[in-house]
Amino acid sequence: MFWRVLRQMIVRGRGRLAVALVALVSGATASAALLNLEFDAERKFTRELRTLGPNYLVRSAVPAGASDEPGAVFNEEALEPLLRAAHGDGDGLGMEVAPSLYVIVRSPGGETSLVLAGTWLDEYPRLTPWWSVNGAWVTDRENANACLVGQQAAAKLRVRPGSPLELHYGERTAALRVAGIVSTGGAEDDQVFTNLVVAQQLAGLPGKISVAEVSVPGSPREAEKKAAQLAPQLAGLEMRPLRQIAEAEGQLLARVQDLLFWSVGLILVLTALCVLATTLALAVERRADVGLMKALGGQMTRIVRLFLVEAGLLGAAGGMAGAVMGTLLSAWIGRQVFGTATSVRFEVIPLILAVMVAVALLGALPLRLLSHVRPGTVLRESE
Amino acid sequence: MFFRILGESFLRNPARKWLEAVALALGMAITTAAMVTALDVGDRMAREFRRLGANLVVTPKTDTLPLEIGGTDYRPVEEGAYLRDDDLGKLRTIFWRLNLVGFSPFLEAPTELERGQNRFATRLIGTWVAHEVAVPDGTTYRTGVLETHPWWKVEGAWFSEEEVNTGPGPRDVVVGASLASRAGIRPGDAVQVQVAGKVMEARVSGILTSGGAEDEAIVAPLAEVQELTGHRGEYRRLAVSALTVPEDEFGKRDPDTMKPADYDRWFCTPYISSIAFQIKQALPGAEVRVVRQVAETEGRVLGRLSALLWLVSVTALVSVALVIGSTSATTVLERRREIGLMKALGAGRGRIVGLFVAEQVLVAVCGGLAGYLAGEGLGYLVGRIVFGIPGTGRIVLLPVVMALALAVTLAGSLWPLGRVARLEAAPVLRGE
Repeated sequence: MFWRVLRQMIVRGRGRLAVALVALVSGATASAALLNLEFDAERKFTRELRTLGPNYLVRSAVPAGASDEPGAVFNEEALEPLLRAAHGDGDGLGMEVAPSLYVIVRSPGGETSLVLAGTWLDEYPRLTPWWSVNGAWVTDRENANACLVGQQAAAKLRVRPGSPLELHYGERTAALRVAGIVSTGGAEDDQVFTNLVVAQQLAGLPGKISVAEVSVPGSPREAEKKAAQLAPQLAGLEMRPLRQIAEAEGQLLARVQDLLFWSVGLILVLTALCVLATTLALAVERRADVGLMKALGGQMTRIVRLFLVEAGLLGAAGGMAGAVMGTLLSAWIGRQVFGTATSVRFEVIPLILAVMVAVALLGALPLRLLSHVRPGTVLRESE
Repeated sequence: MFFRILGESFLRNPARKWLEAVALALGMAITTAAMVTALDVGDRMAREFRRLGANLVVTPKTDTLPLEIGGTDYRPVEEGAYLRDDDLGKLRTIFWRLNLVGFSPFLEAPTELERGQNRFATRLIGTWVAHEVAVPDGTTYRTGVLETHPWWKVEGAWFSEEEVNTGPGPRDVVVGASLASRAGIRPGDAVQVQVAGKVMEARVSGILTSGGAEDEAIVAPLAEVQELTGHRGEYRRLAVSALTVPEDEFGKRDPDTMKPADYDRWFCTPYISSIAFQIKQALPGAEVRVVRQVAETEGRVLGRLSALLWLVSVTALVSVALVIGSTSATTVLERRREIGLMKALGAGRGRIVGLFVAEQVLVAVCGGLAGYLAGEGLGYLVGRIVFGIPGTGRIVLLPVVMALALAVTLAGSLWPLGRVARLEAAPVLRGE
């Protein structure tokens, strides 16, 4: 009997229920999409902010000392644990390391001194994506004659992409070819970048480097933890954060999270209330039905249960459809904004389902207040 | 008669009107708050990004190449060109002066720090901390590393710039953290700073942690370093921190090839390139470069964040529109009997539709207005909680929100209304 009445109710009132379902589904869709985005946003923005480049520097623990000498150098082998972490197991995935040796060299005529950095040029497109290169990046680490020249240095040396460039250090000479002109707005504009081994041979410091730039992935807190794990393995070296980057990154990330948390939270609460208002309106319109059932001898508890089950089913259907559509919507938004789809968080689906059922049931609850109403009054009133 | 029926309808059955208006108000509040936040986010986040420090660097045009390694310039002091610091007030006269968060000039020299028997070779950096700059219009402007290098932390106190070059006695300096721990220096200690044969008695007022080359250096007021190095009134590098909008395709174009109208638009938009251009005009002999590391990341993240917030707003808007539309539809569908009765009493279709439309418009206006006000309040609150600065009220949104409220309620009710109004009176009254 109970189920027959319920089925009849749903079939008969399908127009009205369909309209309410639209409200529930659209509310659930927006909520699911926003929750999914909110959960994923931290990872997405962490990755965006990593385009700020290296956040850690590894240097010799011995202080630079003399101010006219470009700092202490150390053996390449000391970086071994870092490189193992970067390339080896899945744990170091996404970590970028670029060791450099800085040498002050002279141009062919001897009139200009400039800084030559020997490094792994193939790491730079990922490590410092903000470099704007006129010409081409050097993508081969072993390439022993290509170099990138900073824009200021290029203007001083009067070179263009493709020009040959000879650099002197004492008696030794390196013959290079300019692959591209780099503009960064930083110290790199005044420097020349080339193969690490070339710089080591030129300086007569085989196997030595002066600094390694490291981009440790993850949020600032994760990066700090990872760096703290790695630091003790680097004997005689210090690994220290670039505070300008690390601190700003942490604060920016916190702001973005706060912003999304509050706006998404607000939208969720208000959407739930908005849907609640709709289900309440639906329930209010049901007074006549309640009166009729009572007049036919239905017990109030049974009648209320009937309406609650109807509301629950409506909420479950709306929540389910909305959760699925919302997940698809958030994937689409993720692709539009970040270029990659938002990853699906399955905990969102039961959450949305629960919220929608709760809202639908809450909306139906005022029917219980009708228990004291005499059927006659309700029936007459509705005429 | 029309208005009496309308009034009766509101008095007789207030519950459903209330619910519809509340749903509408809530929905419009979401929309308004989301739009207020999305409109504000660019400005607010641009300010947050200034924590990354300078996004523009000014250097002399005819300079030799700096030999900068790890943040330290190894060029001899005699070499290269300098800029005049009495020009700096002019930066407060450029078109986008209010977008300049701050600027600090730098002058460096190799130096020796003497403490008791020990000598340490290091660098002396002269700069402004919170310096009063005279602006050509007669006002003054206070700026320095507090604005441009917010991540610099000083244990103890910064030196005061007011007492520079006056009277005898030791000068206050700030010593970098690594150097201080190496030399065993604590705030309050007396040290000697030697530059090119000149000796300055100094008192350490604080210990600086910057995470960069400054940790190994001594920082002193710019005027002191100018005096010691004999470069009175000169500096070598200026760090400028400016609020900008992300560069779009238009902002990346070369201003030399623009038509006059485009040029004006470019000049009057706070693109980093147009601010750089204006600084170059204000400082003769200067070369202004964009720090791409900061500018590019800022542009990317800001672009993505505001795109995300707009999509969030639109999602909320569409879903809310559907929810409200369905509420309106429910309230109309439930009144079939009433419509039937009116028809039986001889009311025309136009009359009935007019009555219902008037009702919906009234609900939309009340709900929309309440929603707009609540939404502005929420936007204000979010701005305040997240950024510490309340969101700005936007009266522009009021007509938008009102139009939306009307469109949504009418769209929701017209479809069922059309259907109901077409029905015959008798079957409806009979309840078929």
